[in-house]
Amino acid sequence: MEDVLDEVVSSEDLQKFEKIFHEQLHQGNVTHKAQFEYAWCLVRSKYPTDIRKGILLLKELFNSHSEGKRDYLFYLAIGNARIKEYNKALHYVKLFLEIEPANQQVLTLERQINKRMEKEGLIGMAVAGGAVLAIGGLVGLGIALASSKK
Amino acid sequence: MSRCDFKIVLLGSEHVGKTSLVLRFVNCRFNSGTPYQNTIGAAFCAKRMQSNGKDFNVGIWDTAGSERYEAMTRMYYRGAHAAIICYEASSQASWTRLRHWLQELRTVEEDCKVYLCCTKKDLLDSGAAQREVDEEIVATYSQGLRGHFLTSSKTGENVDELFQKIVDDCVADMRVMKGVEEARVQLQKEDAAYRAKHKDYCFC
Repeated sequence: MEDVLDEVVSSEDLQKFEKIFHEQLHQGNVTHKAQFEYAWCLVRSKYPTDIRKGILLLKELFNSHSEGKRDYLFYLAIGNARIKEYNKALHYVKLFLEIEPANQQVLTLERQINKRMEKEGLIGMAVAGGAVLAIGGLVGLGIALASSKK
Repeated sequence: MSRCDFKIVLLGSEHVGKTSLVLRFVNCRFNSGTPYQNTIGAAFCAKRMQSNGKDFNVGIWDTAGSERYEAMTRMYYRGAHAAIICYEASSQASWTRLRHWLQELRTVEEDCKVYLCCTKKDLLDSGAAQREVDEEIVATYSQGLRGHFLTSSKTGENVDELFQKIVDDCVADMRVMKGVEEARVQLQKEDAAYRAKHKDYCFC
């Protein structure tokens, strides 16, 4: 099922907001709005480098613009979760829940992050388990070969 | 892996009750104890529905009503099969905002089926809120659209009816259904390709 962590920005939208941001940057006057909109697009990109750039822009906003803090925290959590920095993502979720403990969107996001960690942990274990089996098989084969030579 | 067959987007000014409408529909509940929290960006929910004896996955994008997110909201109605534009009968401002969305959908997503939804019917019924938006004007606006529903997320009145009508309308639309079938076939292909590629160690 698709969810907020799978949703991808269209390159058309990303370019549009990138252009506005760069124009303002060039004039030396970037508004919070333009920076946030560009960062929002970046963290929803399919490329990790874009997501990392979006995270930097959001962190900067978080430190300079207290009014939009909940928005920045929310997308910082999403951005980090999308590049599989799950512990950082959960850290931002926790900060958010300290301000609004019952926020449904953030509680849902927390569940999704935990689910992903679990799923990827399991896959990791399956891969590791497969490797152990393979090594075991090789050792067994070695022993069998060694004993058959005798 | 399953993807949504139909995409529905909710639009409307802040505090009209878009999130409450979705929560009532998806979870069949209304929590009057929850304090108001304005939606950040957009929230996603999905529900399985039946129409014409078949099952469909319905994805709902609940967008933020706050105007500071407006540039983003546009990204969410793109490609939507249906849009529910919500307003409050006791708020002329919410009706003005509805007209703005209506106009925008007409120019940008002309194939999107549009439904109007007047929320908080219970407040009107009990007299706790007074109607400000003229009913005749609403009727005139609704004529060219797919429907107008007067709902209460508190009691649940007309909520299922609204979403059922949307799905029934989508299922009756040959062009939409052709797209749904193609998307399902494509998804099966991708699934098969994914499984073939990962069969070595995927136990899930």
